[in-house]
Amino acid sequence: MPAFARTGASSAPLVVEELTYSYSRSDSPALEGVSLELSPGEFVLLAGGSGSGKTTLLRAACGLVPHFHGGAIGGTVLVSGRSAADGGPGEMAELVGFVAQDPESQVVSTTVRSELDLPLRFRGQAAADRARAVEEVSLALGIPHLLDRQVATLSGGELQRVALAAALVTRPELLLLDEPTSQLDPVSGDELIGLLRRLNEEWGVSILLSEHRLERCLPSADRVVVLDQGSVAFDGSPAGFQEFAIATDPSLATPAARVFSRVGATQLPVGVREARSELAALGEVTESAPAGSATPPPGNGRALRCEGLWVELDDGVEVVEALRAVDLSIDPGETVALMGRNGAGKSTLLKAAAGLLDPVAGRIEARGGVALLTQDPSDYLVRDSVREELPGSDGEAALAAVGFDGDPGSHPRDLSGGQRQRVALAIALAGRMGAEALPDLVALDEPTRGMDRGLKDRLADLARELARRGAAVVIATHDVEFAATFADRVVLLGQGEVIADGPATEVLSGGWYFTTEVARIFGIDGVIGVDQGASLLGEMLGGERSG
Amino acid sequence: MNGPARSPLAYVPRKGPLQSAGPLAASAYLGGFLLAGLFAPEPLIALAAAAGAAIAGIGAGVGRAVRFSLGLGFGIAVVLTLVNAVASDRGATVLARLGEWPGLGQVQVTAEAVAAGAMTGLRAVAVMVVAGVWSAAVDPDRILARMHRVAGRSALTATLVSRFLPLAAADRVRLKDAAGLRGPAASPVTRAAMARRLLEGSLDRSVEVAATLELRGYSLEAGPSEPLRTPSRYDRRFTVLGLVLLGAVLVALLFGDGSLVAYPRVDWEVGPPTLAAAIALLVAGFATWPGGRRARARVR
Repeated sequence: MPAFARTGASSAPLVVEELTYSYSRSDSPALEGVSLELSPGEFVLLAGGSGSGKTTLLRAACGLVPHFHGGAIGGTVLVSGRSAADGGPGEMAELVGFVAQDPESQVVSTTVRSELDLPLRFRGQAAADRARAVEEVSLALGIPHLLDRQVATLSGGELQRVALAAALVTRPELLLLDEPTSQLDPVSGDELIGLLRRLNEEWGVSILLSEHRLERCLPSADRVVVLDQGSVAFDGSPAGFQEFAIATDPSLATPAARVFSRVGATQLPVGVREARSELAALGEVTESAPAGSATPPPGNGRALRCEGLWVELDDGVEVVEALRAVDLSIDPGETVALMGRNGAGKSTLLKAAAGLLDPVAGRIEARGGVALLTQDPSDYLVRDSVREELPGSDGEAALAAVGFDGDPGSHPRDLSGGQRQRVALAIALAGRMGAEALPDLVALDEPTRGMDRGLKDRLADLARELARRGAAVVIATHDVEFAATFADRVVLLGQGEVIADGPATEVLSGGWYFTTEVARIFGIDGVIGVDQGASLLGEMLGGERSG
Repeated sequence: MNGPARSPLAYVPRKGPLQSAGPLAASAYLGGFLLAGLFAPEPLIALAAAAGAAIAGIGAGVGRAVRFSLGLGFGIAVVLTLVNAVASDRGATVLARLGEWPGLGQVQVTAEAVAAGAMTGLRAVAVMVVAGVWSAAVDPDRILARMHRVAGRSALTATLVSRFLPLAAADRVRLKDAAGLRGPAASPVTRAAMARRLLEGSLDRSVEVAATLELRGYSLEAGPSEPLRTPSRYDRRFTVLGLVLLGAVLVALLFGDGSLVAYPRVDWEVGPPTLAAAIALLVAGFATWPGGRRARARVR
């Protein structure tokens, strides 16, 4: 049989019946009575808050649970008629492709070609068949130019594509993806979702995709399953999901649905296209001056000042100009979102501000001090308990200031993602929380990875509170909706240069990628948030009614 | 300049003849220099082997690896020369008398002992340069792919090590950065805590990688497999050159005018076979340099 020929699917790609599972050291079940079935060629979106059981369900579908993670399992998980619980990941490897959040730990070879070849080699396929399969899957995913690249030189988006290609090279019938876009910029994230849709439509691969940023992938899905505390809370169409979310937990609904629900619409749009159609039916969108879009006065850069800043990074192979002639002034009290593609220079700018990187030209000053939380909060957690990390009254004050609601006696590894984030921020701020000691600049690098919207809203509240107390809060983020929630100002970097700098309402409207869903629906400069969108839509409906 | 320093010996893909060649052909070619350096009967051939390998490395675009290896090799050569000069009491030409040394007795430095130590050091330089060029210019993945046929699991382990060592180094840099960013009231990070955290991170990653391998079909145990064929028009060139170098060294060994005789007095003669072998080594080094025939587009 040719290496690239598919075996015929004789039954549903995934059937889950009354699945209950508990991790070995956990008192409460991660999944309880979960039942669902995927039809061949179906694209199902798995939604739910952090800790709702999405990752566990995906692990169960590929046999990692319980074979790899231990614990107690009940119920049935059948993949193309074979029991995942009995077969384990080895047997499921023939039927299932799995792509997790972090592409770094999913790529095990040193070059892309050998990474794609590895699963085929494990199956003992002949070299000629493998060569063809590697070529075809690389073409399908648009990565033939990467085949001879070393994986260490790839960007996050490229790595995630390689991980996806490695999962697909054996042509599985079912593809499981666990928040694959969480570390990608909006451009790479949209490309990946588009790619999945194409694979689903053209190859007939069944897809079960877990995501937090639903606005990106809801229009591509055939169906949505919502997990809440380990149980299925909803299973239905994307339109039905919007109604369910608005009624039960509006933080799950997309911005488009929230805008339309505010004005009492019964048919909630699933995506931008549908929303624009509904708007078009109401008549021409009338522009009105959006509130809060005034350009902030130019500051003196007391929190951060960059003048002609150049930073070069040398990885021993080549020297990269990570920041090029950056001029930037940020004042205390500002909330700034730092945006741009992977590799645009966001992290480099924050590290240079904290003194971790030296400029090769120009200068950067943060005279009032910098508290920086780097990308992985776990890097700050090195002791056995939160209390040991943050001893004394200063430690307690820092924990209180960041709103830590967990047990200070708990081990940092037992904390949720949101709690870890807060403890790490408290560590960075410990001893600096007094009115005099608070640094003028608090910077957070990609803090929202893997967070649901509720946690993001809490982080936004924390950022605003720190700004109110006098610190400039700069957050590097790929999440456009989050940026629109917390930031007054957005600085957009491209290839190490500042390509846009202005009020969030200006920068986050009018573009293609770094633009909120509301801005794409209305297409009016300055309208980026749900409140603004709902207000505008209300005006339009009022006009229609009075007309 | 910022950023984690990448090892100068790390492989970097480039579009050169040596990098394009298959691992066996490239290894045969560099193996010629290695054997010449290792079994050089006298200094000229060892020097030519080191120089030829350096020329090959520069031509292959891995001059950084050459410089690093030369530095390392010369350091080793100096140590070997000094140790031999002090430890060996053979030789007729006394350069210095260093008196009574504890454990060594009367120590004297002879020109012959210095020459013998320097010869060993020169061999070390040649070996280091060849190893440096091999490490930086020959794709480890393709070597491991070859190894899969005979020792699949060992090859996979070696691949994982070469993949994750740089990640562990990056983890260390990140943790160090985070330790420096802690507020004044947070507990300081001790070396032990840092080491433990680093180990925990590596173990976590190992578990994730193990899961990934399982899902890729590791346990299917299909057995050894043929590597993917990557044709190269340079394979023949380097294989032939490797054999030529081996032959030249054999000729110098078997038919040369002699070798460096260090004791009791330094005796070194250079005859035509030795000169020919040295020239062959130097010229062979240029085989990695880009150039030669190239396909040209014809405008019709």
